[in-house]
Amino acid sequence: MGHNVLLVDDSSTMRKIVGRSLHQAGLDFDNIYEAADGLLALEVLEKESVDIVLSDMNMPNMDGISFLKEKANRPNMKDIPVFMFSTETGDDIIGEAKALGAVGAIKKPFTAHMVSEVLGPFLK
Amino acid sequence: MEISEKIIETTVEIFTTMVMMDVSADGPPLEVSGALCDTVTGMIGLAGTHKGVLAIHIPNQVALAITSSFLGMDVDEINDDVRDAVGELANMLGGNVKTILSQNGRDIELSLPSTIYGHEYGFKTASDVDMVILPFKTAAGGFMVELQLEK
Repeated sequence: MGHNVLLVDDSSTMRKIVGRSLHQAGLDFDNIYEAADGLLALEVLEKESVDIVLSDMNMPNMDGISFLKEKANRPNMKDIPVFMFSTETGDDIIGEAKALGAVGAIKKPFTAHMVSEVLGPFLK
Repeated sequence: MEISEKIIETTVEIFTTMVMMDVSADGPPLEVSGALCDTVTGMIGLAGTHKGVLAIHIPNQVALAITSSFLGMDVDEINDDVRDAVGELANMLGGNVKTILSQNGRDIELSLPSTIYGHEYGFKTASDVDMVILPFKTAAGGFMVELQLEK
């Protein structure tokens, strides 16, 4: 497919599950990078070419909202699209994430079909 | 719908869609969780308009089966993968309970998930709380989901 993705979640289990769901959804990436929080995600984005970021909201050190704010201030990465994968899907929180540049959100728990429906059109 | 029913619904949804394991409620709510033996507990705190803790208590053998199914690989010892998986179950349950208690999601904050494990321990709050303890069963054995909310 020619895309690189960055998975940001403090749970290694969840990073594996998201990676597996992408594969099951038929969304195979050239490279799947991983980061355990927003700070580490910024480090990856500084070094690697990433086409899309899938990020958790509730993380240590730098949470999803702070990550979006910091990313928006860095010209070299501000246009990389971010989808939020989170248990927290209240309207206010998702609204804030979208105002900070998130292009969509997927609620945990999710199925590979849900991942395909949300990300598939975006990656075509 | 009572919060117990919503927690049951959420738990079944999480296990069906993410863990790939059939789970169902195993009788009426319990009065106490009692002594927890050879168990892994995942827990997450709630603060704000509702203060309390959400926990999932999973006996070791059941935790191994759940983690194996969750990750799609054999796991035969209680290790970081098991603790992370149980913590993530607590995180997903906590996030969904937050949504049940707060529609806009802004007036309740969640802590990061943490885990407790050991040969024998108790799980008890010091505050005066409303408690819901729900037993569940799977083919690998049972587990409990416990919600404590400050009165």
